[in-house]
Formats: sequence, structure tokens, C-alpha cells
Amino acid sequence: MRGLFLNIAALLDRITRAACMVAVLMLVAAVLTIVVLRYGFGVGYIGLQDFANYAFAILLALSVPVCLAQGGHVRVEVISERMGPSYLRVADAVALVLFLIPAFGLLIWAYWPELRYAWQIREASIETGGLPGLYLVKTTLPIAAGLTIVQGIAAVLRGEPGAGASS
Amino acid sequence: MIAQEFFLLLLLLGLFAGILSGIPAMLAIAGAPLVTAAIASLFGVFDLSFLKFFPARVWGIMSNSLLMAVPLFVLMGVLLERARLAENMLTVLARMMGGSARGMGLSVLLFSAMIAAATGIIGATIVMLVLVSLKPMLEAGVPPRRASGLICASGTLGQIIPPSIILVLLGDQIGNTYLEAQQQAGNFAPLPVSVADLFAGALIPGLILVALYALYLTVVMRPARQAAKPPSPPRVHPREVIFTFLPPMLLILSVLGSILAGVATATEAAGLGAVGALLMAAFATTENRGVRTLLAAAGLAAFALVALRAAGIGRTATDSAAGLFAIVAVALIAVGTLAAALKLWRSGLLQPSLSETMKISGMVFGIVIAASLLALVFRGFGGDRLVMELMRSLPGDQMGALLVIMLVVFLLGFILEAVEIIYIVVPLMGPAILGTDISPVWFGVLLAMNLQTSFLTPPFGFALFYFRSVAPRSITTGDIYRGVAPFVVLQLAALATLVAIPELATWLPSLIFG
Repeated sequence: MRGLFLNIAALLDRITRAACMVAVLMLVAAVLTIVVLRYGFGVGYIGLQDFANYAFAILLALSVPVCLAQGGHVRVEVISERMGPSYLRVADAVALVLFLIPAFGLLIWAYWPELRYAWQIREASIETGGLPGLYLVKTTLPIAAGLTIVQGIAAVLRGEPGAGASS
Repeated sequence: MIAQEFFLLLLLLGLFAGILSGIPAMLAIAGAPLVTAAIASLFGVFDLSFLKFFPARVWGIMSNSLLMAVPLFVLMGVLLERARLAENMLTVLARMMGGSARGMGLSVLLFSAMIAAATGIIGATIVMLVLVSLKPMLEAGVPPRRASGLICASGTLGQIIPPSIILVLLGDQIGNTYLEAQQQAGNFAPLPVSVADLFAGALIPGLILVALYALYLTVVMRPARQAAKPPSPPRVHPREVIFTFLPPMLLILSVLGSILAGVATATEAAGLGAVGALLMAAFATTENRGVRTLLAAAGLAAFALVALRAAGIGRTATDSAAGLFAIVAVALIAVGTLAAALKLWRSGLLQPSLSETMKISGMVFGIVIAASLLALVFRGFGGDRLVMELMRSLPGDQMGALLVIMLVVFLLGFILEAVEIIYIVVPLMGPAILGTDISPVWFGVLLAMNLQTSFLTPPFGFALFYFRSVAPRSITTGDIYRGVAPFVVLQLAALATLVAIPELATWLPSLIFG
């Protein structure tokens, strides 16, 4: 059971990282295109701006679970470095149940009504002439929150908190 | 009312306990307010429906195009570091300075000031400086104590010298808070504060710091004190100097220059910076002449395009000379960027750089998201009003409030990273200052310099922790503290000067942006 969950979490992490990486590349490409077109020819397209915004929104949301899976979120180790390794394991488990699951669960639960509405009207960018598909980008928010919860549970199950933490 | 204050106190205590417990700070910052709110709602002190605004706030962060500059600047820095471009600069610089102790110290300082642009927000610079410069400095006869102090101090310069990510984040928070606070104070058309304002504002104070450091080094490291003159190193070929320095300098100057000239937004400049770093990293990893020419041409084309824009002839028809030139430039940039990305992907440099960029972005945005929940709950308890009242009751009006905020930020700098502090302190305590006539740019630069000082101050400064984690054990913690002390004094002197002469921060922005 534990092994299965960890495998699924690792697979999800790989997918998330790939998606996030694509988002970074798309963001760079979109910003470069915007700049080049504006500086070179003095033209701008709202669709392109929207594309950059979408790429950034997805990158931002997905970067949080990616960072968590790598133990990359900053910790203040003034006290914990003086305690044994079991201390941090307990602290992380408590933080998972008390903080992580409620906070990111809230992000899913409280977003539901708005998301359902966005799907119903197939919400598009608010700009005239903007891109469609904003509801899909909005959907990454609860997905990222769900992934963060999964990676948080996986980190506690793996029992190696703080692996690669800091910097 | 009393109950609300009690729970606010509980919230703050829980927040600090959580952060100090060693769990990821993001979780403590989001979780402590949430749990406090849940408990308070049991006593009917908190309305839980307030929490429903949390996702909308997170979506607001996701669609904030100003923050887009953060991952782009991070990518630029990571690429410059991974391709060892920064390292090469330091080696050449050190040789140019003649290998004396003083020359070595000054070159480390100069180098740090130059690559300040390319630095992340967390100790990456210090780690890199230790790895690259500690041994050469010690070999050149710099006492370990002074070398430690210099590395710690130089490593924090990246926080204040633009284009720094910290200033982007400060610009975001101060811009929002300033607008809100001014409107509440009855000014319905305040001049917006931009990241460019803060960049311009931080430039002179940042350079003053560098000058102070340099002066100190020149005075305390007189060559006469040296026992023996080190063998003079091999002469540096001018060609080498140009090839090592010109590209990174052009990159950083064009990023900063295009923002300050009002040509580019911070995001556009960051995007150009990332692409420029991509081209340079690919250039450094290939030996193929044809590819190198293409990459260099693409870089020059991008530079020319910015120049074209700055000259104001970008809006020309495609059949004019400038239009034709633009078409050629764009084609070169497109081909060059693609070639660079492919080259770096194949040599296995792009993937880890992207990974690192995602990780650092996740760290920053995790805290930004968490802090938005904290601010929400804080307001739900009426904390914003309470802070306002407290600030008003302070003696000395605005200056009293400013002093308190500065002190709080300085103390928070011991346990929190800059991102957390900015996103907690500015929205919660900032309105007391930003609702008045005090210049928001001056306030922002003061905060940035204060944070930087705090990170340097023993015994808790973050810079010292990072230094300790990579420095050899032969350098004792006492050495580090004593080495860094003179720099802390210099920092405090600069801070006092900035408080006394606000024009140091406000003059350049008003000159450029009016």
C-alpha cells in the first residue's frame, strides 16, 4: 500500500515536472516573441499576451508541488538541527495533517463553485480578442493543490524530511 | 474586541513557533492562521466564510503579470551560474588585479557587485563565492577573517543592486499596498509605484555600499602590510578580458538599462535576460565556430533591437530600412535561440537549469501563496485596524512608525527569508507608512537595505549560516563574526545616511520617470 502510493506519487511528480518545464519554456518563448514583435515592428497581440499569462499561471501553480517533492521549500533550521532526525519526521507529519492538508484542501474545496461556473460558461480571457480556455488554466489551481497534498503525504511516508532542504 | 486581540496574539505566537519548528516555512505561514481561525470560529470570534476568498487571492497571484519576471530572472541567473560564466569572470578579474591581497579583495567585491543581477534570492551567491573565491583570496594573503566577512557582505549585495528579485517582489507589494493605503487616506489618484521606480531608487544606495566596502578594503589592506610579494601571475590578454566580460556586462547593462530607460517592463527585460543568458551559456559550451558566430549574431541582434526600440524607430513599415533590419534581426534571434536551446539540451545543461528554476520559483511562490492566507486571516481578525491604531499611538508620528517597522524587519531578518518578510510585513504594517506623504520608493529601498543588513548581522544573519555551511572548519564561527562586524558597521552607516538623505533613493527615479 505504502509502496504503491509512493510509486504513484513519483509518477505524478515526473508528469508535473514535465508539464512545469514545458510551461517555463513556453513562458520564455512567449515573452521573447512579445518583445521581439513589439520592439521590431511595434505590434502586439492580446492572444500572445494571454498565452504568456497562461504559461505563467500554470508554471506558478505547478512549481509548488514540484518544489515540495524535492524538499526545496525553505526551512528555518535553528532549532531542528540540534534535535535528532526523528524530531523532524514527527514535526513534518504534524505539519502535514494540521497545516498542509487543510490549507491546500481549502484551496480545492473553496474554489469549487467558481471553477464549476468557469467550466459552465467555458470561460475565456476577459480581454477582447483574447484566448479561449481560461477555465482550463483555472483548473490547474485545484490540481496543483491536490498534487501538493499527494507530494506532502509521500514525503512523510518516505520518512526523509528535509532531504535537500534549504537553498 | 479583546477576544480578537487575544486570537491575533495566538496567531503570531503560533506563526513563530511553526516557523522555528523547522517545518517548511510555507506550511507554517499558511497553517498557523488557518488553525487559529478554526479555533476562533468555535468561540464565534472568526467568520469562517472569510476563508472562501483564499482561492480567489491565489488566482490573483497566478494572474499577476508582474511576478512573471521572477522565474525569468531566476532562469537567467541559474544559466549564468551553471555555464560557469560568473566563475570565469572572477578568475580573469583576479589576475588583472595582480594577485595581491588587496587586488584580490577588491576584485571579489567588484565581481559581486557586477553579478548581483544574476543572483538568486537565497544564499546561492554566497555558496558560489565561497567555492570560487575563498581559496584564491587566502592564497593571495587575505586574512581568513577578512575574507569571510567580505564574502558574506558581498553576497548580500545582490539583494539591493538592481535588477534584483527582491526589488521585483517589493515593487509588487509596495505598489499594491501604496495604492490601497493612499485611496483609504483620501487620495484617489496616487502615482503608481513600479518595479522600475525601485530599481532606479536602489541604484545609488547600492553603489554607495559598494564604494564604502571598497574604501574600507583599500584602507585596511595596505600592500605594505604584506610579508612577501606573491609571484606575479601570468599576464592577462586583452582579448580574454573582452571575451569574458563584455557579454555578461552587455547583458546586465541592457537588462537594467532597458528598464531604467522606460523601454522595457521588468518582465520584458527579464525575458530578454533569460534569452541572453541562454545564448551565452550555449556559446560557452560549444567549440564550433559556425554555431558560435550564429549565437553571437543572435545576441547582437537582440541588443540592436532594444537599441532600435530605445531610438524610437521601431514602428516603421516593413519596407523601410529599419523594417528590413528588424526582420533580419528577428530571424537571427529566432534561429539563434532555438540553436542555443537545442545545444544546451543535448549537452545536458538545460534540464538541470530548468529544474533549478522551477524549484526556486516554487519556493518563492509557495511563500507568496501562504502569505496571502495569512494576510486574509489577519484582516479577518481586524488586525489591519489594530496595527493602524498602534502605529498612530506611537510618538513621533510617521517617523516613529517607520522606526518600528524597520526594527521589526531587522529582527525578522534573523529568522525569515526576504520573501516571507516582504509578503508579511508590507501588507500588514505598510499602510501606516504608505498612507502618508512618505515616498514609497524611499521606504522600499530602506526596507531592502535593512533586510540586507539584517542578513549580515551576527549571530543569526542568514548570510553567515550559508557561509558556515560551505566554509572549511578551519575558519571558526568567531572568525566569521569578527570578520563581518566592520561590514555591519558600514551597512548601518549607509542606512543612517539613507534615512538622513532620502534624495539618495528618490532623486534618480524622479529624474528618469518624472
